[in-house]
Amino acid sequence: MRTNRRDFIKVSAGGAAALSVASTGAWLSGCTSSQAATGMRFLRPEDVEMLKALTPAILSGQINATDTDKIQGVVESFDQLLGTTSQIVVDLMLQAFDALNFMPSRGLMTGQWSAWSNASLADANNALARLRNSNISLLNAVYAATTRLVISSYYLRPENQRSTGYPGPPKKVSGSVPAVEAPEPGEETP
Amino acid sequence: MTNLSVVTLGSDTDPYRKAEERGWSITNAADLDSSVTVEADVVIVGTGAGGGTAAETLTKAGLSVVLLEAGPLKTSSEFDMDEESAYADLYQEGTGRANKSGSIVILQGRSVGGSTTVNWTTSFRTPPQTLQFWADKMGVKGLSEEELAPFFQQMETRLNIHRWGTPPNPNNEQLAIAAKELGYSWDIIHRNVKGCLNLGYCGLGCPVDAKQSMLVTTIPTALDNKAKLYHHAQVDRVLIEGDSVVGVEASALKNGAWGKTGQTITVRATRTILSGGGINTPAVLLRSKAPDPHARIGKRTFLHPTTLSLAIYDKEIDPYYGAPQSVYSDHFQWQTVDTGPVGFKLEAPPLQPAFTAGFYGAMGDTLTDSMAKLSHTNCLIALMRDGFSEQSQGGAVELNDRGEPIVNYELNDYLLEGVRRAWNVMVEMQFAAGAKTVRPAHKQAEPYRSWADAKKAIASFPYTPFGVTVGSAHVMGGSAMGEDETRTVVNSQGKFHHLDNLYVMDGSLFPTSIGANPQLSIYGLVLKLSSQLASEFSA
Repeated sequence: MRTNRRDFIKVSAGGAAALSVASTGAWLSGCTSSQAATGMRFLRPEDVEMLKALTPAILSGQINATDTDKIQGVVESFDQLLGTTSQIVVDLMLQAFDALNFMPSRGLMTGQWSAWSNASLADANNALARLRNSNISLLNAVYAATTRLVISSYYLRPENQRSTGYPGPPKKVSGSVPAVEAPEPGEETP
Repeated sequence: MTNLSVVTLGSDTDPYRKAEERGWSITNAADLDSSVTVEADVVIVGTGAGGGTAAETLTKAGLSVVLLEAGPLKTSSEFDMDEESAYADLYQEGTGRANKSGSIVILQGRSVGGSTTVNWTTSFRTPPQTLQFWADKMGVKGLSEEELAPFFQQMETRLNIHRWGTPPNPNNEQLAIAAKELGYSWDIIHRNVKGCLNLGYCGLGCPVDAKQSMLVTTIPTALDNKAKLYHHAQVDRVLIEGDSVVGVEASALKNGAWGKTGQTITVRATRTILSGGGINTPAVLLRSKAPDPHARIGKRTFLHPTTLSLAIYDKEIDPYYGAPQSVYSDHFQWQTVDTGPVGFKLEAPPLQPAFTAGFYGAMGDTLTDSMAKLSHTNCLIALMRDGFSEQSQGGAVELNDRGEPIVNYELNDYLLEGVRRAWNVMVEMQFAAGAKTVRPAHKQAEPYRSWADAKKAIASFPYTPFGVTVGSAHVMGGSAMGEDETRTVVNSQGKFHHLDNLYVMDGSLFPTSIGANPQLSIYGLVLKLSSQLASEFSA
């Protein structure tokens, strides 16, 4: 069941009290009336801006705030990853993003009162800390889901896995090439 | 360092390459251009540990069987040990499944073979304490240790379950080293493998069919015995006529996408067996509006809530390689059965990079710095034995507006106290084994350099469901068995209390969690229940 955006804003206008009520069981009654951004299946333009702001904080040390291509890559992977989950996951994620995107819930939840496109790395870190450390479990859930999906979007890609020193799996070839005996872990390999 | 990326593997072990030659009847329901109705002696919903075992037993008894699987048919020819494709293809909701609040990630399989296609091969018989508790407190009959022993033995032979003879990988070895150091009991794990190359990718689908999952054992036998398999076929409901179930109705799902094609598969059968596992079996019963006078369907769903501690060593661990699980400790598992604090089993998980990053419970520089040391990282996990104490009554499966299942299960103070106790044990063990830094998975934790610092931090953390990282790979219960209709869903033979010809044969039968990785518990129990059902047919 989809409610419209105005209903959601009314809920969020109740501020922390409404969020607290929502956290007792029901997720925010979100809305997804706007269209997905160009090139995206699920993420709307506002979601893309928000994730662009949060990604360099979540993946700091891997991605700098100035790495616009890498950030865009993570956001695109995030969108694709959503497509491998389920309608349940996508609905909840987009409802959470509604709350993170629109005033005044965005400001109340994250302290980010101006648009995400204005957020500095410090602002993004502050917003994430507010969600993580809130006493409202709904906000903790938004933090957990958002960070897990961003982190997975990045580390699922073999090229990013190599940054951990992981050499990668054995190579699988099609056809009837016989399996090669693998060395014991811990043994040196050529 | 070990580098398996230089190793090349062929894919000639895949039994499904000879499907046509062997005359197997396999239908991808996504490709159906009209709805179909088929008849069988038995329809089995689900192809995991329960469905696979039941299918082999019943087809060997000469019965005609239709197997329905919501997930896709993916076989070793496609298993390339890549996390991204494996999670998307082989797991429920692409590993995005979680409890209702979002605080517990739930890993469950979803393809032909169910969770056996992606589990880590760890095989334990049901602990005798668990069976005794079921008999004494849950009203379960005929499932004593002695009564089940021959069935476990038969499945152990069938699936080549044996004590792992190769030395544990360094990730598991740390558990043994620490247990020896601190005087805790420990042992080597039994695994269902044949010709295992010790690669470490069981969780992404065995690339060489060494794992004796349902995908390569019982399901091929059932197909040889003329079972019909439909995949991409999601059962909406059982068909109820009067006091009896006469089959099921399934929707064909689209290839590689969400949503239904609009075609249906109706199976009319003398007996209907639900083997969709925890969550999905109770969901079918709820969607079917099966009689439930005591509101028991979906209740007592258990998760073995599992928390972790990650440690970094000076030496190479290469925790992504080697048999994923080979050492365990039950030292803290059975100190009491149903009184006192929750018991937990200690194991080690495989650490492929995305899996590790997703469960680290950290972000930013802490995550990046930790992940940069992945090759030197060891992880211990504690699986909490839920469902025995008065303070652990499990969660409930509910349906959303679309009829999809949601698990309402939250970590209460009893389980959060278990997390704290487990961290105290695991972190001390990792330092005892020589770790340089250890980080228990609390969102406020840092990598600690000494046991004293870590101990102080563990004592000072606030314990809330979102403060701690807890996941689950073992969904159990929800269709609890027992003789008391007011407390259970099916009887001790797996027969639904309130309708004829409807059976449950999977992990959802368990009236508590198992207290051990559950696959062999499902195999043994379902072999017994399906053998009884087969003999009813011949009687």
